[in-house]
Amino acid sequence: MKTALITGVTGQDGALLAKRLLARGDRVVGTVRRSASANLWRLEELGIAQHERLSLKSFDLLDAERARTLLADVHPDEVYNLAAQSSVGASFEEPMLTLQAVGAAPLQLLEAIRQFDPKIRFFQASSAEMFGMPRSAPQDEDTPLCPRTPYGAAKVYAHWMTVSYRDTYGLFGCSGILYNHESALRSREFVTRKISDSVAKIRLGKLECLRLGRLDSRRDWGYAPDYVEAMVRMMQSESPGTYVLATGRTASIRDFAAIAFRVAGIEIEFRGTGPDETAVDRNDGRTVIRVDPALYRPVESEQLVGNPARARAALGWEPAMPLDRICAEMVEADLRRNAAGVSL
Amino acid sequence: MPMKQKVALITGVTGQDGAYLAKFLLDKGYQVHGIRRRASMFNTGRIEHLVHDPHEPGPRFELHYADLTDSTSLIRVIEQVQPDELYNLAAQSHVAVSFEEPEYTGNTDALGALRLLEAIRILGLQRKTRYYQASTSELYGLVREIPQRETTPFYPRSPYGVAKLYAHWITVNYREAYDLYACNGILFNHESPLRGETFVTRKITRALARIRLGMQQCLHLGNLEARRDWGHARDYVEAQWLMLQQERPDDYVIATGQSRSVREFVDVATARLGIRLAWEGQGAEQVGRVESCTLDAAPPLERGKVIVRVDPRYLRPSEVDALVGDASKARSKLGWSPRIGFEQLVQEMIDADFEAAQRDSLIRAHGYSAPDQRE
Repeated sequence: MKTALITGVTGQDGALLAKRLLARGDRVVGTVRRSASANLWRLEELGIAQHERLSLKSFDLLDAERARTLLADVHPDEVYNLAAQSSVGASFEEPMLTLQAVGAAPLQLLEAIRQFDPKIRFFQASSAEMFGMPRSAPQDEDTPLCPRTPYGAAKVYAHWMTVSYRDTYGLFGCSGILYNHESALRSREFVTRKISDSVAKIRLGKLECLRLGRLDSRRDWGYAPDYVEAMVRMMQSESPGTYVLATGRTASIRDFAAIAFRVAGIEIEFRGTGPDETAVDRNDGRTVIRVDPALYRPVESEQLVGNPARARAALGWEPAMPLDRICAEMVEADLRRNAAGVSL
Repeated sequence: MPMKQKVALITGVTGQDGAYLAKFLLDKGYQVHGIRRRASMFNTGRIEHLVHDPHEPGPRFELHYADLTDSTSLIRVIEQVQPDELYNLAAQSHVAVSFEEPEYTGNTDALGALRLLEAIRILGLQRKTRYYQASTSELYGLVREIPQRETTPFYPRSPYGVAKLYAHWITVNYREAYDLYACNGILFNHESPLRGETFVTRKITRALARIRLGMQQCLHLGNLEARRDWGHARDYVEAQWLMLQQERPDDYVIATGQSRSVREFVDVATARLGIRLAWEGQGAEQVGRVESCTLDAAPPLERGKVIVRVDPRYLRPSEVDALVGDASKARSKLGWSPRIGFEQLVQEMIDADFEAAQRDSLIRAHGYSAPDQRE
C-alpha cells in the first residue's frame, strides 16, 4: 500500500485528490492548519472525512522546521503540495505571507525530501498565473514565465525550485502548471463559485444582485477532478516532468454568468458597457448583475489559455468536461446547499 | 538656486558594489546612507575611507543597523532617511552557498527585496523613492539564447538564481501595479579588488599573488572551462545610478559582451606576475605548470612546478552555461558602456592582491603573524 501526503487536503484539489487516492487503495495523510474551527466541509461532502485510510495531521506551511519531522513521521511515497495562499487578489494585500506559504514552504519540503529520503516523489501545484500576460497564446511548457502578481511570482519561485531540485539532485519533482479548474468544491472567493453561489441565492430570493469585476476577462476553465487525475498520472510516470494542464478553450466571465443563470432558470440580458454594464432578468426586468470597479484586479492577466498537448501525449490525459456541465454541477450544488440553509 | 541635495540609501553598502556606489554618489554630492548588519567583527573594511568624522563638516555618509530579514528595521531606517533613491544591493550573493542554505538565501534575496518594496508602499513613499534591484545574469542559468538580453527567457539553476528571480519579478510587479519607479539591473559578473575573497576571480588573484611570493603552493579551482562575462564593478555602479535618472523605469542588462573562461582569467593574471603557464591534461586532471617566470620582484618560481589544479569539490551541483550579455539597450537608452577592459580589470586585481601579499610577507619576515584566511 502506498502512502501519499497531501498538503492542502481541505481545499478543492486536496479533497478531490484524497478521494482519488483512497479509491486507488492508498493510505492518505492530509495536512491541515490547526484552527479552533477546523473546516472539513469538502471532505464531508465527498463522504471521506471519516475514511479509515485517511488521517489528518496538523501542519502549518509557515513552520518550516516541521517539514522534516512530518516526513519522518509519515514516510510517504508521494508528496502532493497543494497548500497555498491561493487568492491572487489577497496576494496584493499579503505579499509576504504569500511568498512564505506559496514559495518558501515548497522549498522546505524539497529540502526535507533531499535530506530525509530522496526517493520520495514530489508534486508541485504550479499555476498559469506564472505566465502573467503572455505575448503568445496558447501557452505551453516552453512559454517564458512572466508573472504579474505577487501570487504568480511566488509560484514561479516554487516552480523553479522544483525544477532545480530535479536537475541538481535528481529528485522526482513534477510541476503541473494548472489553469483554472473548477468544481462545486471551489471556494467562494473564486469568481466561478461566487457566481454559482450568488445565482443560487438570487434564485432562492436570498440575494438581489451579483457584483462582478471585469466581465470581459477570459479564462481557460477546466474541471477540477480531471486535473487531479493528471496529477496522479504525472506521479506514476517513468520520469518527472513539467506539464501544462488546461483545456485549450476560453470563456468570459460574462459567458459563465449567463450559463449559471440559465441553469437556475433565469434568462438574462446584458446592457451597457464597461463599468456601466448590467444584466437584467428578462422576466421581470430587475438588475441581477452589476459591475463594481473596486473588484478589478490591479493587474489583469489576459490571453491565458493553455496547450495541454504534452499531457495528452505523455499521460494520455484528456480534459473532457465541457464548461456548461461544470457550471451546471456548481449551480445545482449551490441551489441544494442554499435551499438547505447551508452556505459553504 | 542650488539643487536640493539628494538622499540615497544603500543596502549591502559593506559589499563590493555598495562601496563603489557609495563613493560614486558622494562624489556626485549625494547624502548617502548605508545599511549594515550587526556582526561581532568589523565588516566595514571596504568603506572605512568614506566614513567621516561626524565632528567635521564634509561628505555626508552615515551607516545604520538593519537587516533584510527584519521588516521593522527596514521600515524604521527608510522612514528616518526618506531616501530619493534606494539601492538594494544586499544579498546572500554566493551561488554555491545557496545550495547549502537555500532557505536563508530565499529569506534574504527574495523576501528581503519584497520587504523593501512593501516598506516604500507602507510609508507612502511611492512617489518619492526610486528603487533599484540588483538582478543578476544567474537568472539566465541554462541559457535560452546567446548573448542574453532583456527579452531572453529565464531559467535559473540554483537557489540563489531562483530567489533573485523572485526579486526581479516582484520589482516588475510593484512597478506595474503601484506605479513605483523601480528598475532591475541584470548585471553580469563584475569584479574588482574589492570583490569578496570567496568569489572565483578574487580567489584566483589572491592565490596567484601569494604563490608568486612563495606563501602558498597551489591554486585549486572548479570548472576551468566555465565562461563568464566579466566587467569592472566601478563601471557597473554607474549604470545602476543611470537607471534611476531616466524618465521611465525599466530593466537593463549590464554586461561587456565578451565571455572569457576561468582558464583565460588565470592566464592573464599569471602573465601580469611574469609567469607563463603550460596547461596539461583534461577535465578534472587538468593542471597548470610553470613554463617560465621572469618578473624579478621575488625569487622566480621553479620551472615545471604545478601551481593550478582542478578540485571536483568546487564544481557546482548544476553549472550554468555560457553567460554573455548584450547591453545594447543600456548603451542606447542610458548612454552607458563599459570603460575598463578584461585585461585591465585582471591587472588591477592582481596588482592589489600582490601588494597585499607583499605586505603579509613583510609582516611575517619580521616575525609577526599574518593569517592565511582560507575558505
